[in-house]
Amino acid sequence: MNKQEILEQLAKAVVEGDKNSARENAQAAVDEGLDPLEAVDRGLSKGMAVVGANFESGESFLPELLMAADSFNAAMEILNPLIEANKQKISKLGTALLATVKGDMHNIGKNIVATVLETNGFEVVDIGIDQSTLNIIEAAQKHKADFIGLSSVMTTTMPYQKEVIETLSEMGLREKFFVLVGGGPVTQKWADEIGADGYGDTAVDAVGVAKKLLEKKG
Amino acid sequence: MPNFMDFIERANSGPILTEKDFNMESLIPNIRDIVKEYDISLDKENPISSDDAMADRLYEAAIELLARTGIYCEDTNRIIQLDRKEIIQSVQDFREGAASFGDGRDRRHFKSRKPEDTQLPWLHVGTGIVASSEEIAMAQIEGYGSIPEANSVSIPAFSRVKGMPVTGGSPLEIYASINSVQAARKALWRCGRPGLPIMNLLSSSTTATGTIAGSYPAFGLRPSDGWLIDVLAEMKVNFETLNRLAFIQIINGNIGSTAVPIIGGYAGGAPGTALAMTAYFMVGMHLFQGTYHLTLPIHFNSGCNSMREALWVFAITGRAASRNTCYPAIALGFAASGPCTKMYFYEAAATILSQVPSGYAGIQTPHPAKAVIDDAVTPMEALFAVELTKAVTGIKTHRANELANQLLEKYENEIPKAPAGKKYQECYDLHTRKPSEAYRRLYDEVKAELSGIGIPFI
Repeated sequence: MNKQEILEQLAKAVVEGDKNSARENAQAAVDEGLDPLEAVDRGLSKGMAVVGANFESGESFLPELLMAADSFNAAMEILNPLIEANKQKISKLGTALLATVKGDMHNIGKNIVATVLETNGFEVVDIGIDQSTLNIIEAAQKHKADFIGLSSVMTTTMPYQKEVIETLSEMGLREKFFVLVGGGPVTQKWADEIGADGYGDTAVDAVGVAKKLLEKKG
Repeated sequence: MPNFMDFIERANSGPILTEKDFNMESLIPNIRDIVKEYDISLDKENPISSDDAMADRLYEAAIELLARTGIYCEDTNRIIQLDRKEIIQSVQDFREGAASFGDGRDRRHFKSRKPEDTQLPWLHVGTGIVASSEEIAMAQIEGYGSIPEANSVSIPAFSRVKGMPVTGGSPLEIYASINSVQAARKALWRCGRPGLPIMNLLSSSTTATGTIAGSYPAFGLRPSDGWLIDVLAEMKVNFETLNRLAFIQIINGNIGSTAVPIIGGYAGGAPGTALAMTAYFMVGMHLFQGTYHLTLPIHFNSGCNSMREALWVFAITGRAASRNTCYPAIALGFAASGPCTKMYFYEAAATILSQVPSGYAGIQTPHPAKAVIDDAVTPMEALFAVELTKAVTGIKTHRANELANQLLEKYENEIPKAPAGKKYQECYDLHTRKPSEAYRRLYDEVKAELSGIGIPFI
């Protein structure tokens, strides 16, 4: 295979969610001496962009998105050591720390947002469901997050979104993070009331909101 | 046959794996494979499916999904394995109509229906998921209880206690759980229906602790009520679920299994969602050992289930389950638009048309405004669901499909920009507890319009 073919195969493996093919073609890229960053940017990421667009248009769903991400990660296991050895860096738009707030066991919405953000070039740290306010803040600090994304699917757990924002203020950390809120019962009105920086009606909206906030930050 | 303790044992001893591996290595590939193997496909032109052969394949496919995948316990990270023969035995052993709900003159047996059945479905009124303030909740419940045909009510969650927002897992949840049941009983007593059963569990409680508090005999739910307990999307349970189940089994309450498969979520598109939704009937009978079921799909992006893919999921799932089991199930619509809008009634009518001829045993008031706006529900929506269900009971599926297609033309392109509508206090008189003149007029206009397209209101 020539270079162009390898790049095309990498993209195809991601679009089809074919982990084995992603691994094989990543290895081929290494064996053929391709720049690993080029393999990521012009191969794997290109495939992720296709999957992301299909998801946005409703042609594909969460399984396709997850399988694509899984294939991407499988290829990265092979490419990453080389990227590190070359002292190269994959550029990321920003780091998002995602959590479902305390008392809330729902994770699908958050997982979709995580995958959509990843496919759009964000670093995502997902700390899971039922997370206390201090856990969330501690993790955001530890991972040097740009965003904290808070999911809440029940009206009785929405107040914890407010608690995170208030606690950040009390700790003098409010300006360090953008806080985005989402979830079934969450609305723009609620986001405004509690002083969140952004709200996404859908997972795809979250990406646009995050990008706009980063632009504003400069 | 395994009992509940056997399932607890399986939750502690089944194959161990991470949740991610369960999703990626088992759940997702199994759903994708089984949808293909059993040839389950969406027919967008005919959302109210009358395809009996596909419905029967869907039922078989759902058993296959459970046998291959099991149910994942998030707290032990183990799979509760389910045996095909045991699942089938549970379906066969289910005792139809064995459970009764309500007290006194409102005591009833909840029975299953078949597709195109002429038996009027169980009418479950109200919208428990919508949060309300205490004053509004009482007015809403009084309105629900005043509908003579109502067989049971779904009571609202309380969003505040003494002005403080209720947070799950806190002492306020305990107060909210108890207060909501007490307020509901008082409202039902006021409208002369003290025995009307509450069948939505306690929407104010997000934890098993809240559920148990709201079930205290002196002032909580009664064994003649129903407790909804949910399977998590998709194919998962946790200790909060199992703790609730354990408690309600011990007090001999009516367990209502419930699940909300996500269209576009782990199950993929409409066919995979129908597969999961059908499988949850068996989870209810087998693992939960329930007496009734409540079910709905929700679209991951739109947050409602009135679009044609969701109508198809309702229809084919109802047909599959009602043709092959006697487990009585309530179907629940979610409209994108809110109260006091014409669009709400179009959406509600379409969802009910997908449910009644498909064999669902019960119909719940379709929830307005995706159930996300506090106080945004009134007894008028409940009355509409009752009147429409009566009008279309016995309707042929192909006719329901024609009507649904006509209704979809009126609203499906509007779903992304659906009007939020009005809150109770904006379209009802808080003193007389009657709808505003404008809402009454809108209601009559919509009924006349729907009669015009052929819905035979009684």
